Amino acid sequence: MTTPGAANDAAPGSTHQSENLLNRLRYFLKKIGWALSTILFVLVLNFFLFRVLPGDPARAGVHDPRLKKESIEALRVRFGLDKPVINCFESLNPVEFGSCSVNPLDTQFFIYLKNLLTGELGISYHTNRPVTEILAERLWNTVLLIGAGQILSILIGMAFGIFAAWKARTSIDYAAVTSSLIAWSLPTFWLGIILLFWGSANGFPLAGKATPGMSSMPLLQQWGDIAHHMFLPTLTYTIVYMGEYTLIMRSSLMDVLSEDYILTAKAKGLSTFQILKDHALKNAMLPLVTVIAINLGFTVAGAIQIETVFSWPGLGIAVYEAVGRRDFPLLQGAFLLIAVAVILANLIADLTYAYLDPRVQTE
Amino acid sequence: MQSTVQSTKPQNQLVSRFLGFWQVFRKNRSGLIGLGMLILIIFVAVFAPLIAPHDSSSSANVEIGDIYLQPSATHWFGTDDAGQDVFSNFIFGARVSLTVGFFAAFISIIVGGIFGLVAGFFGGRWENFLMRFTDIMLVIPDLPLMVVIVALTKPALLNIIFVIGLLGWTTTARVVRSQTLAVKSRKFVLRARAIGAGRGHIVARHILPLVMPILVVQAVLVVSLAILNESALSFLGLGDPTTLSWGQMLNYAFGRGAMSTGAWWALVVPGFGIVWVVLGLTLLGQGLEKVLNPRLETHHLMPGRPSVQKEAGWEVVKKGTLLEVQNLSINYVNEGKPPARAVENVSFTLKEGELIGLVGESGCGKTTLMLALLRLLPAAGQIVNGKVFFNGRDLVTLSDDELNNIRWSGISIVFQGAMNALNPVRPVGEQISEAITRHLANSSKEKVEARVIELLELVGIASDHKDHYPHQYSGGMRQRAMIAMALACNPQVIIADEPTTALDVMIQAQILELLDDLRKKLGLAVIFVTHDLGVVAEMCDKVLVMYGGVTAEYADVDVIYNTPKHPYTQELLKAFPDLTKPKKKLSSIPGYPPRLEALPAGCRFAPRCPAAFERCHVEQPSLHILADGHIASCHIVEASR
Repeated sequence: MTTPGAANDAAPGSTHQSENLLNRLRYFLKKIGWALSTILFVLVLNFFLFRVLPGDPARAGVHDPRLKKESIEALRVRFGLDKPVINCFESLNPVEFGSCSVNPLDTQFFIYLKNLLTGELGISYHTNRPVTEILAERLWNTVLLIGAGQILSILIGMAFGIFAAWKARTSIDYAAVTSSLIAWSLPTFWLGIILLFWGSANGFPLAGKATPGMSSMPLLQQWGDIAHHMFLPTLTYTIVYMGEYTLIMRSSLMDVLSEDYILTAKAKGLSTFQILKDHALKNAMLPLVTVIAINLGFTVAGAIQIETVFSWPGLGIAVYEAVGRRDFPLLQGAFLLIAVAVILANLIADLTYAYLDPRVQTE
Repeated sequence: MQSTVQSTKPQNQLVSRFLGFWQVFRKNRSGLIGLGMLILIIFVAVFAPLIAPHDSSSSANVEIGDIYLQPSATHWFGTDDAGQDVFSNFIFGARVSLTVGFFAAFISIIVGGIFGLVAGFFGGRWENFLMRFTDIMLVIPDLPLMVVIVALTKPALLNIIFVIGLLGWTTTARVVRSQTLAVKSRKFVLRARAIGAGRGHIVARHILPLVMPILVVQAVLVVSLAILNESALSFLGLGDPTTLSWGQMLNYAFGRGAMSTGAWWALVVPGFGIVWVVLGLTLLGQGLEKVLNPRLETHHLMPGRPSVQKEAGWEVVKKGTLLEVQNLSINYVNEGKPPARAVENVSFTLKEGELIGLVGESGCGKTTLMLALLRLLPAAGQIVNGKVFFNGRDLVTLSDDELNNIRWSGISIVFQGAMNALNPVRPVGEQISEAITRHLANSSKEKVEARVIELLELVGIASDHKDHYPHQYSGGMRQRAMIAMALACNPQVIIADEPTTALDVMIQAQILELLDDLRKKLGLAVIFVTHDLGVVAEMCDKVLVMYGGVTAEYADVDVIYNTPKHPYTQELLKAFPDLTKPKKKLSSIPGYPPRLEALPAGCRFAPRCPAAFERCHVEQPSLHILADGHIASCHIVEASR
């Protein structure tokens, strides 16, 4: 007996390649299904919110006293306002009951869903342009701002967190934790205002994404100009979110570094650097990915405030302007787009998690 | 009379619980600072009319010249866009911001608390529905939804409170649910259910008291989020125009030219208030959290305490001796407390190919001793005396780099609980090859690969499991993989630290057989840490019996089993079944090993020793050499000599 009882304790249901793949697929489908049902919930919420609450967008637009009778009728037909809201209800605010036997496809609710499928979000009251068109222009500016801010805050937060955990209970650690707590406590818009105040005295542009007339300049110069405009908003964003990532990374890494397998790695004679790189970081990143996903909602909140302070032409300022001008179609469209984008980003984070953690696929 | 007794008792309990909580909390400096910051601002808000230097409603007779006045003796922080005193508005603004924060958080906590309790306590369909709903609400971005709702309704203070409150309960629901689940399965709750207590009674009397502390921590954080949300809404122009919160002050100042007039005071002061409150709440929340979930805040990469011993070298090591441990003593250093003497004055020798058994009850310092050999002690552990000679070099005083070279290639360890000792997110084969590449210079990738396969086959694992993760292995396979890893660099000594705990009996036997087999085949020297005296009798050459951190007895295995001298060894053997004397009665040793922070004054075994006499309780026995290679620490042994 050279290898005692090797056959007796084989792996439980020894996981084959195909089974693994199937598990992974099942996990992916489950997550995608979850995201889709959440989006559906948001669509329904969005519809009823704007019809139950007092400020019905379509009605407000239709009742614009400046419009001619024919135009009002045209608008009513265009937005399907001549139809009942949904089966059994002519209107929800004020509540007016109606016939329950109408064709469900002939109600405002289904016309709303059908319009969404074709990307029709209505006309902005203020600019009289299709909401979809306005949002499409604005979306990428927000993505640019959030993208740059997220990447910077995650990278810096991770670096600080790693240092703090590694040098736990030293002055480096205390400094990192204290500054993170302070950064977390800053209202985003207020920090933006303070930085804007400072920037205005130091030659930074005060508003917008580009200097007027820049479009005739060479491409490189245009980009430089955009970067110059982006600096303060991105800095605000980075400082506000960095603190939280630092704290999460620190506590996550502290947990990992007190695990037994770190002791194993140390007993193997690996250097501190090797242990951190090969045994600790990937494991510690997992909670961070979850937090990044959960944070995406807050992230948007930050973007709205930052865009408002710096007049950055993104979705956030679209929300701000829509509120100020009672431009309900724009507000509704912007909310929908933001919510769906956050849900999709969440989905991506979930899938990344599955990719990083081999245990997920077999659960 | 009886009713008063009953009514005061829970109150006393509550008071004593609170006092106990306070005793721990007050040691947390940042938590205390947070509490102080919060109390100060609440004081300011409550006594606003007494503190504010100017009346807040004095905007009636403002003149153009009063707008954005610089800070001065009359206006400490200048005036705002309406010519009002910024400092006074700041003080009154505290009332609005705190009111919104506390009331909104109250709503969130009630809603989240009920959802979490119901989901956790009733489970099933309720839980499914509520948690799905919570997850959906968690994903939908808060602020845009708040903006939409407030914009569609009216930006009145009450609306704002309700909107923030009704959208801020999600994390609370999750936290409360998981706590309820944890509490629900505790013994006293199960017992209450078994005797037929009503659900309401169980929730109110048994579950709520244990969910409450977590709810308080959560409340503190929710208040801070509510205040931040209120300020953001106000800044976006959705604040109540009839009140002046800090956010509203900022909205007016920013929108009405404070920026262009350089009136920094109108922008800085209200924001400072928000930061003050939110930071105070955050610090307080962290402090409370630390009381509820105390963490050690240490890890394996923190620099260990340097050994007291500095100079190296003692004598040339005898031929055939691999490891010689001399008078090793280890303390655990606790700030503000006397050090705990975990291991004291332990010596043993390990020769080539020898297997030494290290036995003793849990908490006798066995693992501490083993970790100290390779200087792997936790940060609080310190070698205070002694030497560890490995091939003639003292590992205690070796430099870190030199020691790192000896780790695993000279001495390797099979840890107890391979599940935790293997990294869960890296394939097993990779974790073995890593050790090889670390210690065997310029080995090609193919060679390392081949070696990993060879090692796995040596311990009876098929090579196609090489790329699998630890969770895909069974318990026995993980322990085999751990052994394969320990063998990777051809070490001379293997420390097997209770390698078979947590495995079932069949697998235990297989692992032990494998270890013994490999030892003979590869000529390894092994230190075997175990509770199992049967295994020791069967496999070991020598035995070191430890009790309470000291050597009880140290001798060849035959001596230990046939003529044990220390009462502890004798008692241990009585607790162990012997096949040759099937009629023998088994007996256990009453009591427990001493706690390190409360060691007895005399012999550490004296309180449990059947043969203890007066001297044993006052004087610690020294190590007595009974014969060549037989040592025992006992006053009786000395007397009988």
